[in-house]
Amino acid sequence: MGFSVRLFILVMGFLVFMIIFELVRKRRFREELSLIWLVIGVGLIFSSFADRIIDPLAFKLGIKYPPALIFLIVFFLLTLTTLYFSIVLSDLKSKNKELIQKIALLEYRVNKLGQAEGRTGSINSGNRDL
Amino acid sequence: MNPYLIVIPAYNEEEFIAGVLKDTERINPEADILVVNDGSTDNTSAIARLAGAMVLDIPLNIGYGGAIQTGFRFATENGYDFVVTMDGDSQHDPHYIKNLMETMERENADVVIGSRFLEGTYKIGIAKKIGIRLFSMIARFYTGTNFTDPTSGFQLLSRKVFSYLSKADNYPLDYPDVNIIMALHKMRFRVVEAPVRMSEKSNGRSMHNGLKPVYYIMRMSLAIVMVLLRGRED
Repeated sequence: MGFSVRLFILVMGFLVFMIIFELVRKRRFREELSLIWLVIGVGLIFSSFADRIIDPLAFKLGIKYPPALIFLIVFFLLTLTTLYFSIVLSDLKSKNKELIQKIALLEYRVNKLGQAEGRTGSINSGNRDL
Repeated sequence: MNPYLIVIPAYNEEEFIAGVLKDTERINPEADILVVNDGSTDNTSAIARLAGAMVLDIPLNIGYGGAIQTGFRFATENGYDFVVTMDGDSQHDPHYIKNLMETMERENADVVIGSRFLEGTYKIGIAKKIGIRLFSMIARFYTGTNFTDPTSGFQLLSRKVFSYLSKADNYPLDYPDVNIIMALHKMRFRVVEAPVRMSEKSNGRSMHNGLKPVYYIMRMSLAIVMVLLRGRED
């Protein structure tokens, strides 16, 4: 890998890392969820030296075109990340559904209580509600 | 109304909650008790109600930090002056609440963290132990005070502090640790420790050491870096 390519990947990696880091610092991104992205950012920074490992490994695995191995690894990592966020999303979705249902039930109870209160109120103090 | 509110987060503690409430009530009759039921699937809520405590049922399990913060919100809205946080599994001895109060007055502190006499009652792996040491060192360097038990759930907080922590992102959802002590120090709150006795967990699981070591170290490093980098926010 040439020097300029290496430098380009390194700069891009740092850029991605800094963007994620700034989002967390400004509280636009929860710390708990940002970790996986920060790890990917660090991975990108180090990937500018990845050919030292990738090339011999690719040949050992019988892959004739080493960059294909990089694509494969990145593909797996991104799949895992998406899977992780899908799990978070589906957890949120079921929690959201349950909350909505509980609010509906609570609203029904509050309304019923309000009606009962209104009735006793109008008995005690004439036509207060009207 | 009492000036003190004892907040007890509980997740599936039907076995212990009645005993905890009975002892706490008997020893501290001048305090109100709030059980924050963190989406338990057992009878924790019903048992706590029966024991005469106020019970706040969180509809779903949101985790230790989220449950505690719910208690802080309740205390802020209802005008309490002090909050004591205590675990619902009989690990904390309510006799020591008095110690926390005395320490707060003597030291003119805003937060008193109950630190256990006995070390090593928890089984902790080597990686996590190194992490805990390292983070305590950073906290000591930053605050100038040595905190021996930063994850302790046995604390006394003044209104200034719990109303600050009750705001949106000022308290973590998972587990508060040295990062919160550092954040409070940055806000110029006075945080001190007081010795308390804690019994070994009767059921063996801990509310405060639930994170895996590698994740814990990364999570806490990030939290500490963020505390250091973020400016003072009011």
